[in-house]
Amino acid sequence: MKAELQAGNSSSVSLQNPNLFPTSQSSISGALQGCLSSIDGACIERLLLHCANALERNDVTLAQQVMWVLNNVASSTGDPNQRLASYFLKPLILKASRVYPASINVNDSSGGDESFQRRPMSVTELARYVDLIPWYRFGFCASNGAILKAIQGFSRVHVLDFSITHCMQWPTLIDELSKLNEGVPTLRISVLSWRPRVPPSLNAPVQEVGQRLSNFAKFKDVPFEFNVIELTGLPHDQSSSDHLHYDLLIRLLMNDLSTLKIRDDEALVVNCQNWLRYIPDDRKMGNSSEIPSCRDCFLDMIKSINPCIVTVVDEDCDIGASSGLSSRITTCFNYLWIPFDALETFLPKHSLQRIEYESDFGQKIENFIGFEGVKRIEIFESTSKLSQRMVNNGFSSVAFCEDTIKEIKLLLDEHASGWGMKKDGDMLLLTWKGHNSVYASAWVPQRLTELEPWENSMLH
Amino acid sequence: MVQIENSASQASGESRFLLSDNHVKSEQSVEPTLPVKKKRNLPGMPDPDAEVIALSPKTLMATNRFVCEICNKGFQRDQNLQLHRRGHNLPWKLRQRTNKEVRKRVYLCPEPTCIHHDPSRALGDLTGIKKHFCRKHGEKKFKCERCSKKYAVQSDWKAHMKTCGTREYRCDCGTLFSRRDSFITHRAFCDALAQESALSQPLAIMSSGGVMKLQVVAPPVAAVVSSPPPPPLTPSAGMLSPVLSIQSSEFPENHIPQLPPPPGAAAPFPGAPTVTASNSSTSSENVPGNGGVFASIFNVSTSAEHSHTAQPPVASYSTMLCTMNGPDQQVIDPMSLSLSSTLYLSSGSSSLYPAALEHPHRHYTPTPQPALSATALLQKAAQMGATSSNSSFLRGFGLSMIPPPDPQDLRNSVTAPSHWSNTTHVKLENNSVASGLGLGLPSSSSPASFNELMMNSSSLFGNVKPATLDFLGLGMGAGETSAGGFSAFLSSITGELDMTTNNSFAGVGSTMDTWDYPSDRKPSML
Repeated sequence: MKAELQAGNSSSVSLQNPNLFPTSQSSISGALQGCLSSIDGACIERLLLHCANALERNDVTLAQQVMWVLNNVASSTGDPNQRLASYFLKPLILKASRVYPASINVNDSSGGDESFQRRPMSVTELARYVDLIPWYRFGFCASNGAILKAIQGFSRVHVLDFSITHCMQWPTLIDELSKLNEGVPTLRISVLSWRPRVPPSLNAPVQEVGQRLSNFAKFKDVPFEFNVIELTGLPHDQSSSDHLHYDLLIRLLMNDLSTLKIRDDEALVVNCQNWLRYIPDDRKMGNSSEIPSCRDCFLDMIKSINPCIVTVVDEDCDIGASSGLSSRITTCFNYLWIPFDALETFLPKHSLQRIEYESDFGQKIENFIGFEGVKRIEIFESTSKLSQRMVNNGFSSVAFCEDTIKEIKLLLDEHASGWGMKKDGDMLLLTWKGHNSVYASAWVPQRLTELEPWENSMLH
Repeated sequence: MVQIENSASQASGESRFLLSDNHVKSEQSVEPTLPVKKKRNLPGMPDPDAEVIALSPKTLMATNRFVCEICNKGFQRDQNLQLHRRGHNLPWKLRQRTNKEVRKRVYLCPEPTCIHHDPSRALGDLTGIKKHFCRKHGEKKFKCERCSKKYAVQSDWKAHMKTCGTREYRCDCGTLFSRRDSFITHRAFCDALAQESALSQPLAIMSSGGVMKLQVVAPPVAAVVSSPPPPPLTPSAGMLSPVLSIQSSEFPENHIPQLPPPPGAAAPFPGAPTVTASNSSTSSENVPGNGGVFASIFNVSTSAEHSHTAQPPVASYSTMLCTMNGPDQQVIDPMSLSLSSTLYLSSGSSSLYPAALEHPHRHYTPTPQPALSATALLQKAAQMGATSSNSSFLRGFGLSMIPPPDPQDLRNSVTAPSHWSNTTHVKLENNSVASGLGLGLPSSSSPASFNELMMNSSSLFGNVKPATLDFLGLGMGAGETSAGGFSAFLSSITGELDMTTNNSFAGVGSTMDTWDYPSDRKPSML
């Protein structure tokens, strides 16, 4: 994103006196060298990187200087670049405060800043939230399309829903099921009682969501059942690492399939919507070989319950080889500009809805930039890596049918004209002004008979 | 004089002539109904000097008139075809734009009965004549799903779809949707649906026991849940309209002001059999039961909630509630509660939903006298929240006070930046050096003064003042740690991230530090 600031901001200023900067001396002027004429995305990115470098070198003076400049540039109610920058500033300050331990106990959850309280939404607000931009709806639409195709012929469907959007995906599926000519199947949806502590946040527990879905299904004459899978045995304090949850989940699901009440006559659907990136991916060295990461274990577990379709929707963000601060800033900056840019096209600067939406993305930025190790809860993966991972774990991809694609196109037509879609193999990618944002994919476990003989032998 | 551009055009059935031309050369089914007279002045639109082009229906409808002879790929323009021919290593020639004045062209509709078949009624634009022909004489292949209207021209159809029944999908709660999927999703979760289904079934408590878990709002609400279902209450339009008008005036950005859901206030938890939990998690389940009732009572409208700005009373109320609960509790509906209270405050009407609130009101304990309406109660709650005094707030509700685990700690931390900023400001405003430096620091809202920014930076950097100056309010030299100073810096920065107050930064950066510029430091970027 090298977008210039909007014309209204009149930020293009040419410096009259180049002698203002003793270029041989201060590094800050070096940092600002490219930014002399205007504050655009490139300039802000450079400033951020400079700050990151300074922090990495423990050069607090330079960091301060850059932060000072950034602070004057960033604004959560300015143009998209400024808004984006403001969300980067916070985690950088967080990092700086760890470089210089202070008496401050900055609250780790982003709700610490009392100036803007991001309150949890009601279900109806959330319903509107997921449709503000196609960021979520794209995945819903694609996944539901793939699911509908995969469950043809089954009279019972069981959906294992791993997602962060509190079941917002399912009303449209229920609606589609209710219209099936060949008979309406019984739908069962199972969700976990736990989800990563990330936005969007809902002010109701999942049971209430389930109750409402039940009502709706009843209204649509779709036989429906809603299960909440309890992850018991976890410490209840908030400091418990998410690792524990995933470990427990995997163990639970692998050891106790009766929890899921999986039935043979049911079409089992596993829906991973904005989920995989929250599962830790560190591979450890065990005694003799590498211990597979949590993420791989999860996929392995999924494969073992033999679903008839696995839908994977996630954010196509390529962090690259290095996960150092600078590369994370670059990655993040060159990816999360998309929702900020999109929201700019149709919501005014002080729209609360917009600010809330941006602040949710800001929370991602905060965590991704500001934290290390297990506390960084999102580990992005590009589409190619995900594909490779799925194949390695014994899945093969399934293409989306033409009807689904048409429906997605219709959906995108209703939104701002920057949204588009493209195909990448069997995957579908949501694009904003041509840049990849979210991908949707569908997978089935590889059947042994499909494999080449030599592949077969490798499995045993 | 007939202009023939290339053989392709003639083969595809064009004929061209000047309006003023006596001599007409036409092909195929094109026949002007009127003989072209050698008149200079013709009534009507077309420029008499314009070149009249009569295309056949086939030509008109054809989208790709220029076809590559090698691969049969069609192009709409000859120029494009020529460029394509380059790829086949065929001889190609791009026509230059004629230097002579370009004759305006007008087009005829090939349909003989059509008025635009008359050269004097020719249309001036190729796309126009194509669309016209399609619209009037073509087959209507595009159909609007919503209203069954049919169109022959795709762009017409698309334009219609944008506006047709944009208010088509209407939820019972009054919200309107242009897209079916957002309508369906909303409908599934809408309170209106919940109430509708609740009315048809008796109320049921989610699960037994432990109803009091949610300390703040549980007691009264639980009582509601256990009572027999309240009679369905229908809203009276008159009562609700004040709310509507306020909404629409205050929140213009939202599309349509919604009618708040009927305050039937029936708990949306009927039909327990349809909701099963593998392990009945009693602790968290009861909470929603109660919250749900609250939700349906107080969930006024999404637009109101959306437009509601994070006013301090609401925020702190919710914060308090958040911190009130144990870590494994979920705050259910203090938001809607507080938002509703704000709505009442803004509407100034104290009689909204008196009936709906009767039940919970009746069960509210001590402090409010029976005569105190629920509206006033909520107002009071919001006000008490504003004073950020936990205990008095809770006592006002007559509820037991739960020692909050962390709020005091939280308040001591930088998460109360206003506190810090104030001290920072106080400290710095007394520093006359600040003014001496002439640092007219720009506020964050005007990056247009980047120039100033740069100049200020340079003055900070260029003039290495004596050590009394503490840059950014920090008492640190390069590399030294100074917890207090840096925390002040941090808090002032975090204070600056506040969207509502953008103007306090000026006070912070007004003291400077001595720093050295190690010459071995080079910019690592760029």
